[in-house]
Amino acid sequence: MIPERVKALLLPVATLAILEIWARAIHLESDSLAPPSAIAIALAEALRDGSVLAATRDTLISAFAGLLIGGAIGLAFGIGLGIFHVADRLMEVTIEAIRPIPSIALLPIALIALGFGYRMEIVIVGFACIWPVLILSRAAVGGIEPRLIEVSRALRLSAADRIRKIIIPAALPRIFLAFRLAAGIALIVAVTVEIAINPIGLGAAIMTAQQALRPDLMLAYLFWIGFVGYLLNTGLVVAQHHLFGPAALVRDSA
Amino acid sequence: MSMTAAATQRAISPGAERPQIAFSNVTLHLGGKAIVENISLDVRPGEFLCIIGASGCGKTTALRLAAGLYQPTSGAVTFDGKPMLMPRRDIAIVFQDYGKALLPWRTAAGNVSLALEASGMASSERAVRIDELLKTVGLPAHAGKYPAEMSGGMQQRLQIARCLAQEPKALLMDEPFGALDAMTRQGLQDEVLSLVQASDATVVFVTHDLEEAIYLGDRVVGLLPHPGRIGIELKIDLPRPRDQLTTRENPEFLRLRRELFDFIKASEA
Amino acid sequence: MNRSLLYWRAASFAVAAGFVGLWQLIADQQLVSPVFLPGPDRAWASLVRGFASGDLWVKLQGTLAHMAYGWLVASITGIALGAMIGSSRTMRSYVAPSLEFLRPLPVSAIIPVAIAMFGLTQGMALFVIAFGAIWPMLLATIHGFAAVEPRLYEVARSLHMSRLAVIFKIALPSASPDILSGMRLSLTVALILSVVCEILAGLDGLGHWVLLSARAFRSADLFAGVILLGVIGYLTALAMSMVEKRFLRWRSSGH
Repeated sequence: MIPERVKALLLPVATLAILEIWARAIHLESDSLAPPSAIAIALAEALRDGSVLAATRDTLISAFAGLLIGGAIGLAFGIGLGIFHVADRLMEVTIEAIRPIPSIALLPIALIALGFGYRMEIVIVGFACIWPVLILSRAAVGGIEPRLIEVSRALRLSAADRIRKIIIPAALPRIFLAFRLAAGIALIVAVTVEIAINPIGLGAAIMTAQQALRPDLMLAYLFWIGFVGYLLNTGLVVAQHHLFGPAALVRDSA
Repeated sequence: MSMTAAATQRAISPGAERPQIAFSNVTLHLGGKAIVENISLDVRPGEFLCIIGASGCGKTTALRLAAGLYQPTSGAVTFDGKPMLMPRRDIAIVFQDYGKALLPWRTAAGNVSLALEASGMASSERAVRIDELLKTVGLPAHAGKYPAEMSGGMQQRLQIARCLAQEPKALLMDEPFGALDAMTRQGLQDEVLSLVQASDATVVFVTHDLEEAIYLGDRVVGLLPHPGRIGIELKIDLPRPRDQLTTRENPEFLRLRRELFDFIKASEA
Repeated sequence: MNRSLLYWRAASFAVAAGFVGLWQLIADQQLVSPVFLPGPDRAWASLVRGFASGDLWVKLQGTLAHMAYGWLVASITGIALGAMIGSSRTMRSYVAPSLEFLRPLPVSAIIPVAIAMFGLTQGMALFVIAFGAIWPMLLATIHGFAAVEPRLYEVARSLHMSRLAVIFKIALPSASPDILSGMRLSLTVALILSVVCEILAGLDGLGHWVLLSARAFRSADLFAGVILLGVIGYLTALAMSMVEKRFLRWRSSGH
């Protein structure tokens, strides 16, 4: 019986080994592929000279700023629409009309309005993050145990108090889940904007590596981007476990 | 006629007929534990055998061994003299969790059709047969309904219809009415009796309900738990056809019930 | 649709129209420079112009073609691979952890690799779109096949169903809700990646149209393109909903 851990590692390790042997055997010289050992060396060097970390910082700044702004807007609207069902029904058509617009389509608009740099990227990431947070927090508020609302009325809480003390804590686990999903989206959109056009961050770095015909560096960045995405996701899942426990893990698929 | 736990290790019914289902010293180990040990049992063709026992005594396991879903660790399970290495098309299994054993995306007719498709019947013939089978279990008006739209009792009848579509020589039923309310259960008990009488199939019926076992069976075998072994065997000499009121008031019924009840009490101790 | 639902829908449209009116007001008052924000009237005029001259139609077809090819390849490969991996517990234990690691990877990061391999061509775009669209399909299909009720497999064994019959009559229908939701996600990914590749490689499509309009500061054309992209997104979501309703009728009944 091979332990689960070993099974999990077998495929990637075997793949890397085969690629390494094959690349060495044919004396690989290509603009698009490089042996895993060269990739590892390129990554180590780029880490050492700080370029990877600087690019990561830039991407994460844009992603988080966009997440916070878009998430705040989405949260405010989501809670509002969740509480005031009239508003929710009235806003249905408007939301269904704007929501399907791919955030990347706004890229040229943001470009001419704000030029290259952080601001344009944050705006696009923000737009993309509004929707998952809005939809899920609206559902979270709508799904609150009606008994709790009755309790808040019996205690004659003011609207602000009701929101602060009952609605938000009750909806919190699913709201956290919404932000967790949005964080993944934020990273993806940020990297995509950088690859498409924006000269900052990890996306720009990987494009530069490709244009400089350095496949080892390019693939190193590819791995690093995946690694950052994985760390972010895992970190948030762990945080969710700690904050809310397994009982609150509703609908855990992204 | 009964035999006590100490005296019996083999529950062979008298008569020279070759048994249809035969367990010969069957033992099954799963996960390092002995689930059933040294079970020897013969089931005559056309017999209605009920298996009862306390929780965890291995009665479901015994049924699954008879079905060919499990292979014994030692000993042999045979059907018509041939070893049961895998499930047979002419042995139908009625599961307790009917919801999970039906295809939710097919209608009632579609579910019955599944068994007929597997046996290669032409589609024109299938429609007629499906109609017949649904009529047999009392569901002709529900042919177009999905399982989710049917009550528990109806779903279980649908499963039985699908099993009958296999033209089974034997019906293996695993606590089929355990999840249903008392009234539905009694109705289905009588339906099963009439279906079986019409088709001559052998039935092995697992249940935790002692009265159900006596009401339905020609013979009741009781298993002792940990590991499962045969502990008691009772021949049921009550008149057929059985009746929910008169049979259950029959003094012999009550005596048998007492005996089984004592057996279960003793086995749980 | 009953009365009150109809009324709410109409009211909702009225609210949306109100927002459009507000947009028109802002544009007319030039609160935001018309270079950046054209009024809905100008955006509409540009849409009409674009279709009349055939330009927008060609661009629309370009984007749809990119989406369609990539999504089709991704669906067939994703479902086939997903079925294979999902139905075997052994394969799952070896493959699933690697897939979990790759799941959060931003798929657009494959674009430079694709450019290195294929240059700024259609082939690059097709590769990227197919690659990106495969993931949701693959992961959803694996999940769907892994979650088939084991009892049904026992029924299949009892009936002596052939392997092919088990796949098509039991596993596939059981996994279909997951597969359909994977398809929905794939379509979204395909749209986004089409736009990105068109922007990068200058391929014929709405992404390219929108970029050119931005560079030339033709804001009305720009908005017309963005609106069209939103329409594509909306219509594909609608189409998927209709397909789901048709194929998943059995789910909603009774519960």
